[in-house]
Amino acid sequence: MDANALTDIERDALAEIANIGVSRAAASLRQMVGEQVLLSVPAVELVTRQTAARLAGRGTTKLVAVQQSFEGPFSGSALLIFPETQSLQLVRSIVGEQHSLEDVIDLEQEALAETGNVILNACLGTIANVLRRTMRISLPSIIRGDGHSLFHAEGGEDLVLFLYIDFTIRNRDVQGFVALLMDLPSISALKQIVHDFINGIQSEPAGNVG
Amino acid sequence: MSKFDRWSILDALDVGIIVVDEQRCIVGWNDWIARVTATSKSAALGKSLYDVFPTLRNTRLPAAIDDSFQVGSSSILNHSLNTLLPLRGEGGQELLHNIIVRPASSGQCLLQINDVTVSVTRERVLRERQSARYHAIVDSAPDAIVTTGLDGKIQWVNVTAEQSFGYTPAELLGQPIDILLQQAGSLSQAFDQDAVLTQAPARPIQVLGRRKHGQSAQFDVSFAAWAADDRIFVTTIWRDVTERMAAEAALRESEERHRALSEALPQLVWICQSNGSFDYFNPQWHSYTGVAADKHDGSGWLNVIHETDRAGLEAAWEASLATGAVFDFDARLRRADGVYRWFKMRAIPIRSVTGRIARWFGTATDIADLVDARDSLLRSNEELEALVVERTREREVVLRQLHESQKMESIGRLTGGLAHDFNNLLSVILGGLNLLKKRVPSDPHTTRLMDGAIQGAERGATLTKRLLAFARRQDLKLEAVELQELVPNLSDFLRQSVGPGIAIVFDIQPDARPVKIDANQLELALINLAVNARDAMPDGGTLTISCHNEIAYGRNHAPSSLPSGDFVRVSVSDTGVGMTEATLAKALEPFFTTKGVGKGTGLGLSMVHGFTAQSGGAMTLASQVGKGTEVRLWLPCAGDGDLVSVASERKPVRIRRESMRILLVDDDALVRTSTADMLTDLGHVVLEEPSGADALRVLASDSEIDVVVTDFAMPEMNGFDLATKIRQMNGDMPIILATGYAELPIDATINFPRLAKPYTQEQLAEALNTVVNTADAAK
Repeated sequence: MDANALTDIERDALAEIANIGVSRAAASLRQMVGEQVLLSVPAVELVTRQTAARLAGRGTTKLVAVQQSFEGPFSGSALLIFPETQSLQLVRSIVGEQHSLEDVIDLEQEALAETGNVILNACLGTIANVLRRTMRISLPSIIRGDGHSLFHAEGGEDLVLFLYIDFTIRNRDVQGFVALLMDLPSISALKQIVHDFINGIQSEPAGNVG
Repeated sequence: MSKFDRWSILDALDVGIIVVDEQRCIVGWNDWIARVTATSKSAALGKSLYDVFPTLRNTRLPAAIDDSFQVGSSSILNHSLNTLLPLRGEGGQELLHNIIVRPASSGQCLLQINDVTVSVTRERVLRERQSARYHAIVDSAPDAIVTTGLDGKIQWVNVTAEQSFGYTPAELLGQPIDILLQQAGSLSQAFDQDAVLTQAPARPIQVLGRRKHGQSAQFDVSFAAWAADDRIFVTTIWRDVTERMAAEAALRESEERHRALSEALPQLVWICQSNGSFDYFNPQWHSYTGVAADKHDGSGWLNVIHETDRAGLEAAWEASLATGAVFDFDARLRRADGVYRWFKMRAIPIRSVTGRIARWFGTATDIADLVDARDSLLRSNEELEALVVERTREREVVLRQLHESQKMESIGRLTGGLAHDFNNLLSVILGGLNLLKKRVPSDPHTTRLMDGAIQGAERGATLTKRLLAFARRQDLKLEAVELQELVPNLSDFLRQSVGPGIAIVFDIQPDARPVKIDANQLELALINLAVNARDAMPDGGTLTISCHNEIAYGRNHAPSSLPSGDFVRVSVSDTGVGMTEATLAKALEPFFTTKGVGKGTGLGLSMVHGFTAQSGGAMTLASQVGKGTEVRLWLPCAGDGDLVSVASERKPVRIRRESMRILLVDDDALVRTSTADMLTDLGHVVLEEPSGADALRVLASDSEIDVVVTDFAMPEMNGFDLATKIRQMNGDMPIILATGYAELPIDATINFPRLAKPYTQEQLAEALNTVVNTADAAK
């Protein structure tokens, strides 16, 4: 497990990449919502599924997630996860407060799907872009459950790249997570790619990035 | 599959297909999209996507297409979040659509456009219909409605909630529901997982709500949980009961105040329903009646009302119940110890908003003391009134008596004065006639005339004597008289007077005491009364004369004018016609008579009355028409001294015939001359003086005077004063007082011989003899 742990520099690099991604997503969301949208990734962890389940669920909290699978140099599935109680908040932030609760509930599914789609595409796309690789990323789907069921915690040795993500939309703060579930080869591939990226950055003038 | 075949299939699809190359030029355009954009395949192919749909530049679609080319990502763009292509259906209606962007074969990007108009519209119509109903309810609801998740975070609020708490929806959404509460967690019951899952209907919770700026408000919160898409919500309905609770508190306070008032009142208080059924009594009622609280409910209270008052009270109560008039009745209520006390029972109806009588509120006030006071006041008033009537009657009697006595007094004075003057004149006439008779030669004719004149003058003298008796001014010789002796001695004369048709009965108490009276006057009075009785009994009857002691007689049964002391009552009663009230009232007046003209003088009764009064007694009259008349004479008993003096006065008298030197004093020249003539005729020497002063001067200078004869009634110095002065100068000088009536001072201590006017020459001579003999005896 220690072999798979991220070094500080790897963690910083991934966080940097993720921040670039979510800032792109924020731009897209701003276009959708018509208001200022701020997204940031304050921390990145590489954890086991069990740990991920615990981190996301904090017990038996009900969660809602937007899932997309991706294939490329590294493969797996990406999840944008919110506590279920926050998801309506997020949806209302996106669709606007003129909608009734029933409207918000009706719109929750597609609004979450599209929002998740934007954010996950941005994150994955940025990683692929920065790393100059291409992937195939599926359409989003909504799944609900607790941490265990989302992360299939009891099965496999897959690791989870766990990104904390803060949303601020229409002066509302929502905390969620982006989790990238990958098998060990994919993790190794990702780490390798990140190393290459770091080396590339160190050999290039810093100003080019961003 | 050939290229042709592939597009013919795509053209048959009911979704829109657009394929763009890396320059975003349209390389694929199926029939469906051509139809809904009204842009033919030939017009679209080869054109830039953004030239065909310029508005797309401002959407997320370009970024999604970019990602598709650069990263290979797929994107979905929903109609609800994005404004996309201007698509129109066959009817010209806008088509709602979602777009899916995916990387296609290398260097191409596929846009798949799905028409969702039908399903969205159907859902929207359904939702709007539902929402219309829903909003009609929740937006007009007077209660605040707040929907939260199970975590208590606010998901939705209605308009009333905004107004009630003062927040905008934006300020509330996402906030914990505790923001609406003064005490966090006071609604936690609503979010209890177990309770929500059992779906048990919950009772409203009373909470203290908190408005935006911290003000408190009381709410009844009802709540219910509901689920949507596996998600559980809790809707809370907040009813603002601040005012209601304030009103309830005010009502409670008001009721409390009324209860306190009715229990603090000293009165007995009761309340009953509109049908008269009692359902409240204050503690005073129970402590007064001593009956347990429930025994008097309904109509049980009637048992404490006094039987006598019960029927009246029930009638009054029924009347009040029927008419709504104020009930007011005084009745006696039984106290715990069985004593009945008077109470004023009063009740007023309490009306409901509609004006109907809802209840009666009544009091019973103890007025026993008041009633007692009123009764005793009434009693004392009645007594006072009776007393006033009695006193007034007494006063009227006294006044009448006073008036009567004043009348009699003035009549007496008038009569007395008149009689006095007549007396003097008659003295002169009688004196003159007597002297004349001596000197005129005896001739039968002359003698008869003379005797007639003398007789007439004597009758005149008798008349004046009676008048004087009535006026109580006659000269009474008061002496002790024994009635046992006097009355029987009179019987012969009485029988002659009344005649044979009338029986005379004497009823003389053997031990009747002697009375102090003038015996001659008493005889005269009895004869007078007997004659009156005879006249009252023309057809005969019985005359009764009775004498009884009335010793130590008080005022109780005696005439009011009678002083207390010892008396003998002498009654003269007849069985005659009697007198009417009117006659009785006038019977004592002089000259009043019921007899025919010429038959009586009208002086009888009045003379008797005057005589008894002058003697210190009284006379009363009682008479009933048809039954008879009784005259009662109250005569004072004689003392021991009276008996002695009477005896001592009886002395033998010697008559002297020698000439004397006499000083005659009289202010009336006519009388003086007449008397001087009589004295001269008797052979005496007479010195005449008109006044006392002149007489004293003569006496001082003439020591030869033997006797002084003086009139009593004279101006300046009367006869008594003169006699007193002479007695002081010369204790032995014999003096005769000639008096017309008893006007000597009652306290006269010196007893001078008196000569009653008018007097004859014989009477004068006898008087002279008496005084001279007495003076000689004393020497």
